[in-house]
Amino acid sequence: MNPVLPGEIAIKSESDIVAARRTVRDAAMQVGFGMTDVTRIVTAASELARNVFKYAGEGAMTWRQLEEPGRMGIELRFIDHGPGIADVQLALQEGYSTGAGLGLGLPGAKRLMDELDIQTASGQGTTITLKKWRMI
Amino acid sequence: MKSKTKSPNGGGEKRLEAVTTPDMLRMLVENVRDYAIILLDPKGNVTSWSPTAERLKGWRAEEIIGQHFSKFYPPEDNVSHKTATELAVAEKEGRFEDEGWRVRKDGTRFWANVVLTALRDKEGKLVGFGKVTRDLSERRAAEEKIRKQSQEIFEMAAVPVVQVWEGILLVPLIGTLDSQRTQHLMERLLQRVTETSSPVALLDITGVPTIDSQTAQHLIETVAAVRLLGADVVLTGVRPTIAQTLVHLGIDLSNVFTRSSLTAGVRMALEILNLKVGPKS
Amino acid sequence: MNNESISVIKVRDILMVTMPSDPDDSTISSLQNKVLTAMERTDAKGVILDISTVETLDSFFARTVSETAQMVALMGGRTIVAGMRPAVAVTATQIGLTLKNIETSLNVERALDAATAERPRDPR
Repeated sequence: MNPVLPGEIAIKSESDIVAARRTVRDAAMQVGFGMTDVTRIVTAASELARNVFKYAGEGAMTWRQLEEPGRMGIELRFIDHGPGIADVQLALQEGYSTGAGLGLGLPGAKRLMDELDIQTASGQGTTITLKKWRMI
Repeated sequence: MKSKTKSPNGGGEKRLEAVTTPDMLRMLVENVRDYAIILLDPKGNVTSWSPTAERLKGWRAEEIIGQHFSKFYPPEDNVSHKTATELAVAEKEGRFEDEGWRVRKDGTRFWANVVLTALRDKEGKLVGFGKVTRDLSERRAAEEKIRKQSQEIFEMAAVPVVQVWEGILLVPLIGTLDSQRTQHLMERLLQRVTETSSPVALLDITGVPTIDSQTAQHLIETVAAVRLLGADVVLTGVRPTIAQTLVHLGIDLSNVFTRSSLTAGVRMALEILNLKVGPKS
Repeated sequence: MNNESISVIKVRDILMVTMPSDPDDSTISSLQNKVLTAMERTDAKGVILDISTVETLDSFFARTVSETAQMVALMGGRTIVAGMRPAVAVTATQIGLTLKNIETSLNVERALDAATAERPRDPR
C-alpha cells in the first residue's frame, strides 16, 4: 500500500471538473476509504470544483494524505481568486445559492465530509479546505 | 579465553580488538538485513552511509554524505520542525523512536521504524547520532489487512441481512442503534438489495429497546436511500412504546410503510411483490 | 473531447436512455434535449434512465435528472430511474437529493416490466 503523493491540478475548464473527480477518486481509494466514503468524497469534490469554475472562472485543487495516531485521512483544498463569498453562513444554508443550482453544493459538501473550513472575503477569493477521516 | 601468547608482537588483546572489532562492526552495519544503520553529526547531517542504507533508501554514499537527514521525510510533514524535535529529544533522553512514512531517493515511500541514539565521547560531549531505520511496510500492510477483515466480520455480526424469500430481505435489529451502527446498517442493506435485486426489505425493530430522534432520522434516511435504488422498506415490530416515542418526538413516518408485527410485514411484502400465499387446494 | 455520450434507443414504447459513468457538465446538460427531442419524434410513453454505471451523482446532475423527468411528465410520459448504485444512493440521501416524484427501479429489466405494465406498481 503506497501512500498518496500530494498534488495540485488547475480548474479552468469544464473537463477539469471531471479530472478533479477522477483524481480524488484514485487518491481516496489509495488512502483506503470504502466505496461509500469514496463516493461521498468525490461528490463533495465535484460540487466544489464546479463552484470554482462557475463563480471564479478558474482556480486550483490540491490534495494530500493525512496521518494521525489511530486515523488516516484525505485533505482537499479548493483555491480561487474570484469574487469571494460575502456571507459564509448564508452560503452554508441549505437551499441558498447565488447560481442556478439546487443550493446544495456547499452545504452538501459540508455534510459529506468531516471538516470544512472556508477562508474568504468579498473580492478576496476563496479557499475551502475539506477533510475526511477513517479510523485505522 | 584468549591467550596473550598468540599475539605475534606481544601487544596483546588491545591490538586484537583494535583490528577486529571495528571490522566486525563494519560488517554488521553493512550486512544486517532489513535495517539501515547510518551516522549523523550533531546537526543531523549524514556522516556515514552503508550499503543497506543504499538498498533501502536508494541514495549512494557520495550522493548523501553531508546532506541533512530531513531529505528522508515526505514533503507534507512539517520537516524542519520534526527533525529539530527528534534531534533535541534524542540528545536530551539519549534516544528517540518514531514510526511513520519516509521517502526514498525516487520519491516512493515506505513505512519505517526509526531509532535515533545520541553518541557521546568520554567527556560526555555530543559527537553525533546513530540512526537505525527499519522498513515495516510489509508488516503494516499485513496489519491493515487483518484489521479490515475483523472489522468486516464485526459489521456482519452487528447487522445481519437475510434473504427470506425471493425478492424479500429481512434485517432483524437487536439492541441499541447508535449512529455508527445505523450507518453500517444502511450501507449493508443497500449493498444486499442491489446484489440480490430484492424489491422489498423488512426492517424489524422488535429487538430494539428505545429509539431517539437521531436514530429515527437515520432510519428515515435508510428508507429514502433504499427507495432511490428502486426498492421499498417495511418497518416492522413497531411496539406501542416505540410508536409513542416516535409521535412524541414529532417524527413523521407517514411516508414509510410500518407494521406492528413481522408477520404483518411479510404479508405486506408479498402484496408489494404481487404474490399470494394460500392453503394447497 | 468527452467521447462518452448519452445513448437513447427505443424499445417498444419506451426510450432507454443510458448515462455514461462519469459525464462532464455539457454531456449532463444535453440529457434534456436528447430525451425531449426523442420523446417528440418517437411518441414514446416513457423514459427509463439507466444510471447503473454512474459513480457520482452531484446536485447538478440530480437537478438535471429531476427537471428532465418533470418535462417528460408534461409531455405525458413517465420517467423511471434504474440501477442507482448503493454508494450513490447513500450519498444522495445524505445531501438531500431525494428525487421526489421520480419512480425508481433496481435494474433496467424491472424498469421495463414496470413501464410496460398496464398501470404503475401499487402496493394497495
